[in-house]
Amino acid sequence: MAKSPSEVLTWVAEVFEAPADKIRPGTRRDEIDAWDSLGILTLIARMDEDFQVLLTEEEIQELRSVGDIVEILRKHGRLGEGA
Amino acid sequence: MIDMAKCTIQGVDIRGIVSAVPSRRFDNLADAKGFTEDEVRKVVGMAGVKSRRMAGDSVCSSDLCQAAAESLLEKIGWERDSVDALIMVTQSPDYILPSTACLLQMKLGLPTSCAAFDVGLGCSGYPYGLYLGALMISGGGIKRALVLHGETPARFADESDRSVSLLFGDAGSATALEAGGPGPWSFVLHTDGSGYEDLIIPGGGFRDRFPEDRRKYCVSMNGANIFNFSIKRVPTVIQDTLDLAGLAKEDIDYFILHQSNQFIMRHLAKKMGIPEAKTPLTLGDFGNTGGPSIPLTIAQGELVRPADRPLTLMLVGYGVGLSWATALVRLGPDAVLGHTELRNQS
Repeated sequence: MAKSPSEVLTWVAEVFEAPADKIRPGTRRDEIDAWDSLGILTLIARMDEDFQVLLTEEEIQELRSVGDIVEILRKHGRLGEGA
Repeated sequence: MIDMAKCTIQGVDIRGIVSAVPSRRFDNLADAKGFTEDEVRKVVGMAGVKSRRMAGDSVCSSDLCQAAAESLLEKIGWERDSVDALIMVTQSPDYILPSTACLLQMKLGLPTSCAAFDVGLGCSGYPYGLYLGALMISGGGIKRALVLHGETPARFADESDRSVSLLFGDAGSATALEAGGPGPWSFVLHTDGSGYEDLIIPGGGFRDRFPEDRRKYCVSMNGANIFNFSIKRVPTVIQDTLDLAGLAKEDIDYFILHQSNQFIMRHLAKKMGIPEAKTPLTLGDFGNTGGPSIPLTIAQGELVRPADRPLTLMLVGYGVGLSWATALVRLGPDAVLGHTELRNQS
């Protein structure tokens, strides 16, 4: 269930069907085409499905970059060691 | 945990359910204006709404419920004088006052001895309506009750708002309850008002009586929060209802979920390990019609009904409020199901 930070980046790219080289911790929401009002639903669903993480409304509002996704997974204990 | 707002009611039967929709059909892919084709395809692909029925400016929830009730009364052969209670569940009433239930008592020719009142709930309204009807019958005095549930969500959507305008359709329904029946019904009813702003029409009520911005008379939805609420609350309330009834998932013939959005419904079914065949979808043809989507799906979901036993149905409403509720009911082989259309142009 836990993924390394680099695996999370690959996972994010897959969720938003974005090129893997475009996804870095600093990538902002508005730089990812599919991360729109529908894309956020996909992200919430995949967090639940792949990590069994249910977000709070506050956490949803705070999701503004790929780094925020990584941080939330860290907070919920879903981030393993690794590159 | 303290078991609040959970209960089991004996001795109530569903005689019939009829749904009603406006005849005017809106094809999202062919008719949607103001969005690019790609945008429409994306929304249709996710929400699953291909077409919807639109009430237009002239048809109200009460008209749809009246059409459903007229058809239902005829099918089950109830004398109008024999109806003791009418419950109208709606958040799209004809007027702020009087209660739409009073208009419907008159329009349906029900006796003045009939109790009639409105219940102001949306997506969770059908389980609540059945709960109240069943309570009234089991309490004595009331032998026959009509539970009407209608909404015109397409009429309160802002056409330029992508999050709602391609999603909503209009529908009404009528359900006939009477004393008797094959088995206990179980209900679980819950509320979290802290999410009241996640699905709201902010203007036109008494908090903001005459706002200048016309968009305030339209519905505003925070889709992410509503989705998040749904995946948090629905699996738990279903499990609580099964526990209350002493049943397992496998004992349920159909899980009739409020037809909110195909993506949400599929996710819920998958998360709970329920086969897709047990969660009928009707929103492809009718859209999200609010709470009436549950009786509409019972009537139009092509349920397979054995002749020798009742179906066990788990009805699940969730959304605006935020409010969520279940009704675990039995639908006997003799219960009448039907569907009708109300002709409209505008």
